Amino acid sequence: MNSLTLKTTRADTPLDSRRALGAYLAETRYELMRGLRNPAFALPMTLIPGALYLLFAVVIAGEAVDKDPTLGAFLFGGFAVMAVTMPALFGIATSLALERDMGLMRLKRAQPAPAGSWLVAKIASGFVFTLLAFLPMLAIAVLTGKLPLAPPQIVAMSAALLAGSIPFAALGLMVGTLVNGSAAPGYANLIYLPGCYLSGMFFPLPKSMFWQVPIWPQFHLNQLAMHAAGVTKYQFEPVAIAAATLAGFTVMFSAVAIWRLARKG
Amino acid sequence: MNTLPHPENRLHALDAVRGFALLLGVAFHAALSFMPDWPPGIWAMKDNSPSPFLRDAAFVAHIFRMSLFFFIAGYFGRLLFHKLGARTFWTNRAKRILIPLVAGWAVLYPLIGYIWMTGVTKVFGGTLPPMPEMPKVLGAFPLTHLWFLYVLMLIYVAVIAIRALIVRVDGDQRLRNRIDGIVTDSIDKSYGIWLLGLPLAFALMGLPFWFFWQGIPTPDQSLIPAVPASIGFGTAFVFGWLVQRAPGALAAIEKRWQANLVLAALATGYMLYQQHLTPVASPGTTKTLFALAFGVAVWTWIFGLTGAALRFLSNFSATRRYIADASYWVYLAHLPVVAALQVWVGHWPMHWGLKYPFILVASFAVLFLSYHLLVRPTFIGQLLNGRKHRIFGRDPAPIVRATPPEDQNNPAVASLRGITKRYGAVTALNAIDLEVRRGELLAVLGPNGAGKSTAISLWLGLIEADAGEVTLLGGSPQDADRRRGLGVMMQDVEMHKELHVRELVALASSYYNDPLPVEETLRRAGVTNIADRRYGKLSGGQKRLAQFAVAICGQPRVLFLDEPSVGLDIQARTALWDSIRALLASGCSIVLTTHYLEEAEALADRVAVVAKGKVIASGSVDEMRAMVARRQIACESNLPAEEVRTWPGVVDAQRENNRLSITATDAEAVVRRLLATDPTLTRLEVRQAGLNEAFTELTREAA
Repeated sequence: MNSLTLKTTRADTPLDSRRALGAYLAETRYELMRGLRNPAFALPMTLIPGALYLLFAVVIAGEAVDKDPTLGAFLFGGFAVMAVTMPALFGIATSLALERDMGLMRLKRAQPAPAGSWLVAKIASGFVFTLLAFLPMLAIAVLTGKLPLAPPQIVAMSAALLAGSIPFAALGLMVGTLVNGSAAPGYANLIYLPGCYLSGMFFPLPKSMFWQVPIWPQFHLNQLAMHAAGVTKYQFEPVAIAAATLAGFTVMFSAVAIWRLARKG
Repeated sequence: MNTLPHPENRLHALDAVRGFALLLGVAFHAALSFMPDWPPGIWAMKDNSPSPFLRDAAFVAHIFRMSLFFFIAGYFGRLLFHKLGARTFWTNRAKRILIPLVAGWAVLYPLIGYIWMTGVTKVFGGTLPPMPEMPKVLGAFPLTHLWFLYVLMLIYVAVIAIRALIVRVDGDQRLRNRIDGIVTDSIDKSYGIWLLGLPLAFALMGLPFWFFWQGIPTPDQSLIPAVPASIGFGTAFVFGWLVQRAPGALAAIEKRWQANLVLAALATGYMLYQQHLTPVASPGTTKTLFALAFGVAVWTWIFGLTGAALRFLSNFSATRRYIADASYWVYLAHLPVVAALQVWVGHWPMHWGLKYPFILVASFAVLFLSYHLLVRPTFIGQLLNGRKHRIFGRDPAPIVRATPPEDQNNPAVASLRGITKRYGAVTALNAIDLEVRRGELLAVLGPNGAGKSTAISLWLGLIEADAGEVTLLGGSPQDADRRRGLGVMMQDVEMHKELHVRELVALASSYYNDPLPVEETLRRAGVTNIADRRYGKLSGGQKRLAQFAVAICGQPRVLFLDEPSVGLDIQARTALWDSIRALLASGCSIVLTTHYLEEAEALADRVAVVAKGKVIASGSVDEMRAMVARRQIACESNLPAEEVRTWPGVVDAQRENNRLSITATDAEAVVRRLLATDPTLTRLEVRQAGLNEAFTELTREAA
C-alpha cells in the first residue's frame, strides 16, 4: 500500500526502451570522446602497429616479401594481430581498472545506469579504436603491394582479424576487474608481450618451443587469419580448432570477469 | 566460565559440527570401495588397490559421525520446537526432513540401483551374479543412506511424546531443573562419558553376530527400528535436547574438549588394535570390552569435537556458513556420485593414494557445484535450508519484522530497520534504525568510521546487510528500477576527468525516464559557469558541485548526499544549501551525512548521531541540544582553570590567555560563584551549547 501511495511519478518504473537505447548510445559516445580527448592513450595504440609494420615489413623486409608473397601475408598477419588486439586489451583493461578505482562503477550501479551499458560502451569504443589501428595498416599494405592476396581473401582476413579482437576484449575485462588502475597496463603487458613473441607470429620459432605456442591467444588468432587468407604454408592447426580455442578463451576470460564483478563490483 | 546458556554465536559452531558430520559421511562412503577384507558385492565396487589405512580411517569416522549428527539434531530440535511452537515445528520438519526423505528416495534409489548393478557387474567380470533378495520380513525396505531422515522423524515423534508426558507430570519444573543440573554436572565432572555410552554398549553386546567394523549396524534395510541404532542415536538426540535446555552445559563441553579428545583417541586406539586381532566378536570378555570402549568413544568424540568447535569456531564465518548450508544437500545427493566415481576408477591400475583423493575431490566438486547452481538459488534450497540465495553476490538480509508503527499519512521513503553489517571482524553497523520521510532532511552525524557511508551504501543497494531490513521507496533497493527514484552524491568518487560538466550531466540524465533538462540541472546546482570545463580541471569544491548536479538530474524522490560540502568555500556552500532547501520544498527527501554541525543545524529536520555503528541519539535539532543541556560560560578572569574545574556543576574549564571558558550543567550556580570568587571578573557571557559541543559530548561518551 505504501508503495502505491509513493508511486506518483515515472521515476521508478523501468526505463522505456527508447530511453534505454539512448542511454546505451550516450554511454558509448562519451566513452569514445574520452578516448579521443586522451591522445597519450589513443595515439600509441593506433599508430604503433602501423608504424612497426611499415618499418619491418615494408622497409626492412621489403625485398624478401617481393620474392616470397606468402611471407608478406605472414608479416601482415603478425602485425595486424598486434593492431587489433592492443586497443581491445589495453583500452578496456586500463579504463575499467581506473574506473573501479575511482568508485565510478559503484556510482553507476547506484544511479542506476542500465545494466551492462558501460560494457557495451567499452566494447563498442574499443572496436572503433581497433578499426583506427587496423585500417591504416591495411592501407599501407595494399598501397605498397606488400599484401599480394586476392580481394576476397583480404576481406576474409580482415573480418577474421577484427572478429578476433573479441577474446582480447574479454581478456581486457578480466585484467581490468582483477587489478587496480596503476597496475593494469603492467599486467596487460605481462600477458600481451610474451604472447606476441612466443606465439611465433613475428618470426618462426625453433621446434623445441612449439609445445608452448597453443597457450597464447595470439597464435590462434594468427592461425585464423592465415586460414582466411588461404596461406597454407603458415597453417599449423585446423581452422575449427583455432576458432574454438578463441571462443573458449572468450568464455573463460568473461567468466572470470563476471565472477569478479559480481563479487567486488 | 559464567556464560549464558545459549548465546547466539555458539550456534555457528554447532552448525559447523553438523556440516562436518555430514561431509565426513561423504568421505566415509568414498572409502568403502577400498576395504581390504570385504567380499565383492557388499559395496558397489571393490577397488583393485585396497587400503588398510582407509579401512581404519573409515572405522574411526563411523564410530561417531552419525551419533554426532543426532546429538546436534537434538540440540537444534529443541531450539526449533521452542522457537516455532508445536504446529509450525511439525510443518517445518515435514518440509525439511520428510519431503527430502520421500522425494530424495524416489530420485536416488533408481540411480543408486543402476550404479550398483553396473559396479557389481564390473567386479564380477561382466556377469551380474544373482542378487540377494530383500529379506522377506515385515517392514523390509531399502532406505539407502536416507535412513537417517527416517530415524530422525521417528525420534522426533518419540521425544516430543515423552516431553508432553513430562510436562504433564512435572508441573512445577522441579524434575526438569534437577535434570538440567545433572546434565551439566555429568559433562563438567566427566562421568557422563562413561554412563551415556552404557545403553548402547549393552545393545551391541546383545547382537548375536557383530562385526567390529560395523560399529552401530546401519538400519538401512527395514522400516522397523533396529535396537542398537535406536538406542545409540536416540540417546545422542535426547542428550543434545537436554544440553540445549541445561544452563552451562555447552560451556562445560567447551571447557573439556581436550581431555575428551585424548580419551576418544585412547578408546579408538584400543578398538583398532583389537580389531586387528579378531574382526568378529564372539561372546566373551573381548566383545564386552569392545562394546564398552565403543560407548565411551562415541561420547568422547561427540563432546571433544563439539567442544573444539565451540572453542575455535564460535565466530561467524561466511565460508563456514556456506559449507554448513551446503552440507545437507551434499550428503543427500552424494551416494550416486561417489559410487559412480568408485565404479569408474575401480579398475584403473593406480594406487589408492591417488584414486581416493580423486574420488573425494571430484565428488565434492560435482556436489558443491550442483548445490551452488541448482539448489542454493532454487526452490530446493528453499526447501532444504529455508531460504533461497543468489548464484552470484551476497544475499539480501533476512527480513526481521520488528517494525515500529508506521505513520500512515507519511510513510518512510527510505528506512533501515534493525540493520547489522559486518566487514570481517569489524561491525560497521550494529542493529541500527534510521528512516527519512517525505520532504524531510535527515542529517546523519558522526566521526570518521562511525558507519555513515555504510548506511548510505545499504540504501543504494551496493552492499547487503547481515541482518535487518532495508527499504527504499517502498521496496528493496536491490531492485534497479526502484533505484531510478534516487539520486546520489557519494564520497570518494571521481567522475571522468576528460568529460565536461555538461556532458557528465547529460550522460547521467540518459539513465532516467523523466530527467530535468540539462540546462535546468546545471542552473539548479549552480554550475552553469563551469558547464563547459573538463571535470579534471575543476577545483575540489567545483567537483563536488558537479557531482551534486549529477545527483539531482533525474528528479529523485530520495537524495543521498554523503559529505556534500567537503571542500566547498562558504559561498558555494550557501548556494548548495539553497539548492537543498528548494529540493526539500518540492517534496524530495534527503539523507545527508556530514561533519559540519552547522550544516545539520541549518538544514535538518531530524538529526541522528552515529558512533561505532550505533545510533546514540536522534531527534530534532532542538531535542538534540536539550539532550545535552549544558551551557557555555565565558569570561575574563584570573581564576585558575584547574580550580574552577573542581567546582560542582562544572564539566570542563579551559583557559586561553586571560579568557576562561567553562562548560557547565548548572550555569546559574556557577556564575554566582564566579562573581563571588572573583570581583574583577569582566565580559561574562552565557550561551546554550551549540550542536557542535553536544555532538562532541555524545560521541565521546560512546567511545
